[in-house]
Amino acid sequence: MIIEDEAGFREMLKNALLRRKYSIIEASDGKEARLRFKASIVDLVVTDILMPEEDGLKVIMKLKEIKPDIKIIAISGGGKAGPGNYLNLAKALGADDILFKPFSLNMLINRIEDLLNPEKP
Amino acid sequence: MEENYIDKYLFNYLFSSSNSMISVIDRNYRYVKINPTFCRMLNLTEESVVDRSVGDIWGDETFHNNIKNNIDLCFNGENVKFEAKFGIPARGIRFFEVTFIPLTGGGQEVMHIVAETTDISKIRLSQNAVNEMEEEFRRLETGIPIGLLRCKTDGTIIHYNNAFSKIIENYGSTDLHGMNLRDFYFEKSLLDIHIIQLGDKKVRTFGRVPLITMNNNQIFCRVSGFMVSDKNTGLPSFIDFAFEDSSREIMLENRLMQAKKLETIGSLAGGIAHDFNNILGSILGYSEMLLEEVGENQVASEMVARIIRAGTRARELTGQILTFSRQVEQEKISVNVSEILEEACSCTLSVLKPGITVRKNINNRDLKVFADPTQIFRVFMNLITNAIAAMEKTGGTLSIDLDSAEGEKLKKESGKNIVADKYAVVAIEDTGVGMEESVISRIFEPYFTTREIGKGTGLGLSVVYGIVHELEGEITVKSVKGKGSVFSVYIPVIEDYSAFGVRPSKEKYKILFIAGDCGESRILSEALKKSGFLVTTTANALDLIELPEDDLQKTDLIVFSDDQKEISSEILMRFILEKNINLPVVMIVDTDYDLSKEKLLYSGIIKHILFRPVSLREMITAIQISIQ
Repeated sequence: MIIEDEAGFREMLKNALLRRKYSIIEASDGKEARLRFKASIVDLVVTDILMPEEDGLKVIMKLKEIKPDIKIIAISGGGKAGPGNYLNLAKALGADDILFKPFSLNMLINRIEDLLNPEKP
Repeated sequence: MEENYIDKYLFNYLFSSSNSMISVIDRNYRYVKINPTFCRMLNLTEESVVDRSVGDIWGDETFHNNIKNNIDLCFNGENVKFEAKFGIPARGIRFFEVTFIPLTGGGQEVMHIVAETTDISKIRLSQNAVNEMEEEFRRLETGIPIGLLRCKTDGTIIHYNNAFSKIIENYGSTDLHGMNLRDFYFEKSLLDIHIIQLGDKKVRTFGRVPLITMNNNQIFCRVSGFMVSDKNTGLPSFIDFAFEDSSREIMLENRLMQAKKLETIGSLAGGIAHDFNNILGSILGYSEMLLEEVGENQVASEMVARIIRAGTRARELTGQILTFSRQVEQEKISVNVSEILEEACSCTLSVLKPGITVRKNINNRDLKVFADPTQIFRVFMNLITNAIAAMEKTGGTLSIDLDSAEGEKLKKESGKNIVADKYAVVAIEDTGVGMEESVISRIFEPYFTTREIGKGTGLGLSVVYGIVHELEGEITVKSVKGKGSVFSVYIPVIEDYSAFGVRPSKEKYKILFIAGDCGESRILSEALKKSGFLVTTTANALDLIELPEDDLQKTDLIVFSDDQKEISSEILMRFILEKNINLPVVMIVDTDYDLSKEKLLYSGIIKHILFRPVSLREMITAIQISIQ
């Protein structure tokens, strides 16, 4: 699942992951994400932090509540408090991994694969 | 008989009713006759005075100093008039006007003189008071910082004070009398309008009026006028003007406006930069996918690599704009300013063109501030590089000064927003080309540059501005076209730095920092140590190869700054792979780094690539992300 309010960036992430044969569910904010999350089987979530309506930090807490073993990667590009801050907070709230925006796609894919196949060295 | 009667009556009347002390004195300086006022003034009876000498009554000293010679003159037949101060018991010192008139009786010889002594103390005292007031007024007129001027109704100058001379830069002390006030008005006709306006209403303030000084500079003064009319005719006789120099006021207003403008540009640019980062994310992401798609096609993959490089460069620029608009949070630790300044000096001054001399004056080596050292380093690097560039053609002297200053003093001097008690002040001064006023006022705006297109981004000073303000500091610039410029950076000093900054991280990560020659990397590795990491720094990547394997295995992470002379990143990575060192690597590269080398990323060794300039916060976050 990709949660990102920026349509262009979300689209790009979707395309990139589709190429790796992942099936994708999209959401543009936290509320939409929760509804869709409940209606489908999700292995891993990539979520932006700064979003209108419900932000990524809330999403992380709520999704972990619904499904404690869900893997979450938080991504952020900045905002007044700086990306490091939000991402560290995200980590404290239970995100399994964090990434600065913009990041290399390969890096994201590496992380996703690491999280989904933990037994692989 | 009749006349004699009138004379005698008149004499007696005047003698006894006069407000003056009147006495008759004989040749032996003895009082023969005194009037009632004399008795009243000296509080003596007539009997106790008559037949006694003048010296007895007034004291011998007074008699010999002031009186005797005048009496002698009078006995020679002259009328004598003089003023004197006499001390009178119970009345203190009084001022008197004394007149001696010789009485000749029937013969030629003067037998007696009449002395008329009038107390003029009251007149004297009020005259003194008037003199003092006049003196006071003169002092006020001379000392007051307001220019005062009196002119005729046609503008001809009658009188002016020092301050007026100063305001119109009359340093050569030219006599302005007879000149016309109109000569100092930028708009000559404005004075006529002012005079007409004063005709209706006797007092008026005209607001800020542009004037022209003797040195042909334009200044602004708040001008007030007072029409003075003739008491008898009621017609205007002359006009008094007051001139208050409002240059400083205007300067402060301009600075405030400048700061507000920068603030506005900052939030606008920051917003744009933020959106751009998302767009760049898409561009870079698709480019990466495209790179995979084109596969073995050399031409196509080279093109895509160029897109990625351009995108990365754009990302660096948006990062700089975010720094200017202070939307990037900094990781702050206690930093010794002189150490960073020295590092910046050694990076910039090692290869200096001949013709430029450097004067370094570091007065205080203990000044500590709370900041990201890499950011301060950027500030110094930027200012020193600019100063050198300003002297590229002319040569000259580069002065680098570090000292501390009290906040209160700075506030008065700079008019800037000074809040802390003590500041570290770094001044970078050049004797290069200098700048015009119009350039100075815009120098911190992003994308404002005086260099030719393609040289410099126009972001440098705006980034400096953003960093300094993020530190609650200030930056000022003084410059004279053709003479040079001086940039002063003020950063609040922390007195008790043990309370801040050094924040031991919970996990003591061991980091091997391969720093190379770049000053920035060295500063970064020092900063990491202060942030609580266990850092081993080595300048040379070859050291890594010689490092005992045990030491390597104890390390948690390698930071590799890609500016090694002896060894390229690829060779290093191959070495790490061969030795089967299972360590995450964070790589620091320049933005023009060839990303086709990014194949290294696939190996999984490089967990993170950071582009210069790297802030401490970026570094720490990258380390935290990479060690998992």
